[in-house]
Amino acid sequence: MNNEVKTGVYFCKYLNGHPDSLSLDELVSFARGMPEVAIVWEPAGLEIDDPGILASRIRENQLTRIVVAGDRSGYVKPAMSKALALAGQDPASVVVASFREFHATRRKDMDLAKAILACAILDVPFELAALPDESEVNTDTLIIGGGIAGIQASLEIANANKKVFLVERTGTIGGHMAMFDKTFPTLDCAACILTPKMVEVGQHPNINLMTYCEVKGVSGEPGNFKVTILKKARRVNLATCIGCGSCAEKCPAKAPSEFDNGTTLRTAIYIPFPQAVPNKYLIDAESCTYVKSGKCGVCVKICPVKDCINLDEKDEEVEITVGNIIVATGFQVFDATRAEQYGYGKYPNVLTSLEFERLVNAAGPTGGYIRYRGQDKKGNWIFSPDNDEPRSIALIHCIGSRDENYNKYCSRVCCMYSLKLAHLIKEKIPDAEVSEYYIDMRAFGKGYEEFYERIKEEGVKIIRGKTASVKESNGQLLVRSEDIHQGRIIEKKVDMVILAVGLEPRNDADKVAEMLGLERDKDGWFAESNYLADPTATFKGAITIAGLCQGPKDIPDTVAQASAAASRVLQSILRGKVKKDLSEIPLDTILKNARQFSPIKIEE
Amino acid sequence: MSTRVDPNFKNTLMGYGRGDWNECFHCGNCTAICPLSENGFLFPRKGLRAIQMGLKDKLAGYVDPWLCYYCGECSETCPRDANPGEMMMTLRRYLTSVYDWTGLSGRLYRSFAAHLTVVFFLFAAIITSFLIFADFSIPANAEGIVEINKFAPHGLIASLDHILLGTLSFFLLTNILNMFIKVIIKDRSVRIPFSMYFIHVWEAIFHFLTQARQLKCEGKRTYWFSHWFLMSSYVIMFILIIFFLDWFQTDQIHPVWHPQRWLGYYVTAGLIWGTIYFMIGRYKKNKEMFKFSHHSDWIFIILLFLIAFTGILIHIFRLNGMALATYVSYTLHLAVEVPMVVTFVAFSKWSHLAYRPLGLYFANLKKAALRKQYNMQVAPAV
Repeated sequence: MNNEVKTGVYFCKYLNGHPDSLSLDELVSFARGMPEVAIVWEPAGLEIDDPGILASRIRENQLTRIVVAGDRSGYVKPAMSKALALAGQDPASVVVASFREFHATRRKDMDLAKAILACAILDVPFELAALPDESEVNTDTLIIGGGIAGIQASLEIANANKKVFLVERTGTIGGHMAMFDKTFPTLDCAACILTPKMVEVGQHPNINLMTYCEVKGVSGEPGNFKVTILKKARRVNLATCIGCGSCAEKCPAKAPSEFDNGTTLRTAIYIPFPQAVPNKYLIDAESCTYVKSGKCGVCVKICPVKDCINLDEKDEEVEITVGNIIVATGFQVFDATRAEQYGYGKYPNVLTSLEFERLVNAAGPTGGYIRYRGQDKKGNWIFSPDNDEPRSIALIHCIGSRDENYNKYCSRVCCMYSLKLAHLIKEKIPDAEVSEYYIDMRAFGKGYEEFYERIKEEGVKIIRGKTASVKESNGQLLVRSEDIHQGRIIEKKVDMVILAVGLEPRNDADKVAEMLGLERDKDGWFAESNYLADPTATFKGAITIAGLCQGPKDIPDTVAQASAAASRVLQSILRGKVKKDLSEIPLDTILKNARQFSPIKIEE
Repeated sequence: MSTRVDPNFKNTLMGYGRGDWNECFHCGNCTAICPLSENGFLFPRKGLRAIQMGLKDKLAGYVDPWLCYYCGECSETCPRDANPGEMMMTLRRYLTSVYDWTGLSGRLYRSFAAHLTVVFFLFAAIITSFLIFADFSIPANAEGIVEINKFAPHGLIASLDHILLGTLSFFLLTNILNMFIKVIIKDRSVRIPFSMYFIHVWEAIFHFLTQARQLKCEGKRTYWFSHWFLMSSYVIMFILIIFFLDWFQTDQIHPVWHPQRWLGYYVTAGLIWGTIYFMIGRYKKNKEMFKFSHHSDWIFIILLFLIAFTGILIHIFRLNGMALATYVSYTLHLAVEVPMVVTFVAFSKWSHLAYRPLGLYFANLKKAALRKQYNMQVAPAV
């Protein structure tokens, strides 16, 4: 029976000439080298448009089955089926070897492509032949990044009674969400949702919270990673600090506050914000007078706890062993100085949305009153509670997003947070004139369209047209835009401009990707293994991604993805085993497996 | 009134320039960033919309391209790389062909080969006629000065000039009439009182002489100067050789301070400066407006440069008594001048010298009339 099976391999033309293609010649010679193959057609060697001719070629080679190999081999399958039928063979015995599967083309992985081809030739499902080895899994998990995604994932795993190391670069967890005033579309206070979770993380017995730490290196294999963590010198003893704040009262050195996005100043010994977890002080070495010049030490003298502050503390490295890693490193906002036409950095009252988010927050620089930004005595731009309130505010959408000059993609959250900010302005200054300039209004989520309608009813002017420039005119800001619905140019004088800046991958995302062996997509976000079906898994075994580092998304989606990532981790912990990388399986092993399972046997 | 839509209009337009007009998602950035765009005359986005929708007839009466000076701000900041600035340039080429009722303009624009063929044919014709009719063996006079009028009498050349002028004027004027019909007469939305034509005519003249509108494009002063220097030189040269050839082409060597000498130097300097400025720009593509060069742009500057260059050669050879070299340069001078004038004045790029001030004139007329009609607050463009 078996010796009647004769296989022909046809390579589609799509593989040829594709800029990122695999080497066609190598694949052809590999196919020729397989004893199971009767004939190999290169793209030019076969006219596939005419089933009649195709059938005669099949008949003269006495083929019984065809393997169609290529990038888009599915397109050729119907023609081959028809030709097989015309040649008197089973039309169903066409097997497709698509190199797009398992991203062989994209990763330019020749061995993977050969394995896919061999499995198709041998009529064995690839997954059967290429079963990844499984290794024992360490039940501890490392989570990189303490934003809402990292917090959510940590709690999911820790609540399942598994141990978590949560590593955060700054002095507190909370991330960007802690900086927001309200959330859309429910207008809940962001802190009211986030801080209970933060406190839960801080107190959880299963979570080893490592703030002011950075992951320096990862080695080992899935299920058993050796992770080197740099513990940056906090210079304040986490165990003994009581968070009284007397050190900060006397500290002479000042630096812009990261948490307030540079809108306020903080001291060199500081707590990022009052609800920080852990609620302990730390010293910023870059601005501390003692670290810079060796003279000062006021904080040590004032501290009521003995030996709590150690100004000479050095960075140290610790090594931990974990089974799984969740990457939740988040994003940074677009640097608005890059788009010079909007005058950010030139005019004090052109703000980014994140700055305005702090300004409008009750714990922000002005206690939640919307005020002009002016200069203090030293020339710093600060919001002062003594200033007047602006009467008219313009919000400009799509700064750095949907723009070929910066980022081509839509940042997804800006439309909604701009509407939210418009609402907050109307809430605080009811008679203020608020106008929004947008390209397209993307109110895509549950309750978002209703929110948009509500904001329109509140009297916010919504103007379709991308603002071209912001200029100063008699102490006010002149916003020039085309009103596309009205068909006219509008130049509006406003007191304050808020730029809805887009989201970008972090500057050091490339280093993180290199360290963990992750891939990045064309926009620089970490690549998921399958956007639709597997958005948390990566190509690396036991490393999952969650939150903004995978792509722009809002808070509900981030939380959902974090939970999904946690479920992936728990899955492997519960099974006690974790799959190794596909790319680590040698080609010979796959070939051996495939021949073992194959129904096609060659008689020696 | 119905509007006819030509779904293939985008493809028609492809021959006139580079088109990325499908890219546009109508954010309005280009119109708002344009220093010249104003209410009533909103461009370039409106033009892109009309192209995308295939509103061929509407575009034929569209005056806005002549109001744009291609500073390139719109293309630089366009979030879709749709190149609205180049779209306006393309529309100017297209409108030139729309106004031209002979259809020659469209052929010259759409086909590089056709344009080149016409240029070479005229070039060869001039050289052949000189070889047949002119005497290349006349020596220099006793003072060692070459007498050009013996080689090519100014009376004969001037009358040939006048025939050429008459023919080209006929085409250009009928094209202008065509433009007037399409822009003003066919636009039913506005009725222009007769007296208004006279009130606003100074704007066209003022603009033609100064091109001051271009200065509204920010940071383009070198560009404005180069363009104005080139334009004024060419216009002076044109006036000199058409109307004052007997005064300009003399065998008497005037002193350097004589207007005939310094006008000649001014013209030469303007042509050389302008053409080299534009050639370097178009080669380096260092400005937005130089990023794409249509073949008509290249033929235009190269011919202009050659005219100036051969003019300098005539001058040098003549003063040095090199008779044959002078005659050869003179022949080449005319052999590049004629194709340049014939193909560009009425049918291609050069006609923008007429269409631009007229476009502004028509736009101002419409604006003034609309203001009168609706008492609208629209500021006049200068």
